[in-house]
Amino acid sequence: MIRFDSVNKYFGNFHVLKNINLEINKGEVVVVIGPSGSGKSTLLRCINRLETITDGELTVNDLKVNDKKTDINQLRRNIGMVFQHFHLYPHKTVLENITTAPIKVLKQSKEEAEKVARSYLEKVGIPEKANSYPAQLSGGQQQRVAIARGLAMKPEIILFDEPTSALDPEMIGEVLDVMKALAKEGMTMVVVTHEMGFAREVADRIIFMDQGQILEQGKPADFYANPKEERARLFLSRILNH
Amino acid sequence: MLDFSILLNNLDTYLEGFKNTVLASIIALLGSFIIGVIVAVMRIAPIKPLNWIGSAYVEFIRNIPLLVIAFFFYYGLPAIGVTLPAFVAGTIALAIYTASFIAEAIRAGIQSVPKGQMEAARSSGLTYLQTMRTIILPQAIKIVIPPIGNQFINLVKNSAILGMIAGLDLMYFGDLVSSRTFVTFPVYIFVAMFYLVLTIPLSLGVGYLERRLARSN
Ligand SMILES: Nc1ncnc2c1ncn2[C@@H]1O[C@H](COP(=O)(O)OP(=O)(O)O)[C@@H](O)[C@H]1O
Ligand SMILES: [Mg+2]
Repeated sequence: MIRFDSVNKYFGNFHVLKNINLEINKGEVVVVIGPSGSGKSTLLRCINRLETITDGELTVNDLKVNDKKTDINQLRRNIGMVFQHFHLYPHKTVLENITTAPIKVLKQSKEEAEKVARSYLEKVGIPEKANSYPAQLSGGQQQRVAIARGLAMKPEIILFDEPTSALDPEMIGEVLDVMKALAKEGMTMVVVTHEMGFAREVADRIIFMDQGQILEQGKPADFYANPKEERARLFLSRILNH
Repeated sequence: MLDFSILLNNLDTYLEGFKNTVLASIIALLGSFIIGVIVAVMRIAPIKPLNWIGSAYVEFIRNIPLLVIAFFFYYGLPAIGVTLPAFVAGTIALAIYTASFIAEAIRAGIQSVPKGQMEAARSSGLTYLQTMRTIILPQAIKIVIPPIGNQFINLVKNSAILGMIAGLDLMYFGDLVSSRTFVTFPVYIFVAMFYLVLTIPLSLGVGYLERRLARSN
């Protein structure tokens, strides 16, 4: 469903993604880990063209992401994205945050979009916040709204970039629970996160990145128990012993 | 004491000037706003040549004295066969000059909206224009209104430039009264008062909006 073929990306002279080969299948949950600055966010952001690749080939559903003929807005409506800092629209209510894209992009009527939005708010556990503004919500609630906003477009893929890193510890669980439920329903997910519990429970595959390369990948149980690469071992010992 | 007979005896003249100053201000205000928005969009649109044109406009225009721009339109253009009435030349100069400051204020406001807002909206499939209209501009407007209000106040005051090219405005008729009556000091005091009639309400309005916008955040 998502396919990287010898993909390289540079920021100026800085080689941020090095010869990435990666295939992610429908329904798969892939967790990306690695040290800060290793290129995890960039990898994720290339998939919906928030960043453009320098060479190689990247396809989503066999559509070339960077081809001029590809309608990028058409592609993006099919790929949800959840950010570390939520990026909810502060001037819009929770309901409006969720319905904006369905109304503008999918041309849903306001009533229809609001019905869908409420059902997803129910799903992420905060139906009573429909008319609140983002600033009135806790971080955990904001992130759950952001997930509902992504879901309302009925995407086939959702990308998560450190969705719990900006949250207070007591709110991490509520967001992970929503993500786990999604994973179990068969959503295709690419998740940058260091939450090992999440990875062990629902990930099909762990990808370890370092300095722009995919150094190692494997099933969570194998990878966490016995990482092959020295740098993966070092990294794991560091996130485990902090 | 101030000799009010100067004002009363020349009230028609003053009012004629006042009327033209108001007219020039309103036209230039609308014009500068429209040009300002266009130039601001050119500066931030993801199209390099447009960025250059927008930047060039701002950097050139705001670093030239308004008087020079006004003289260009009034005395300069006839050289290439375009003769404009002083009022028109002055008003155009005023709009073009103020637009460069308004464009800057709008650009700064738009760019103060966090980058994540654009990314969140675009990644949900909204086009660049849809994102601008529904997500970015409504947030930028709050930041942009106070500086634009201040530019409008400047515009009203700067409209006195019309007096330099016989533009029939308040300043021009003030000069006229002064040369007719051989009185200077009170004549210009009254001119100043007419300007204050325009600028003080504007200034109060900007202050009010600023406080309201501050509270709504
Ligand atoms: N827009 C950019 N311009 C230049 N360098 C960037 C940009 N975005 C990220 N980088 C650099 O690329 C590297 C990888 O960044 P990122 O993908 O955010 O890493 P991670 O998410 O793994 O922490 C970092 O060194 C970062 O400084
Ligand atoms: Mg990152």
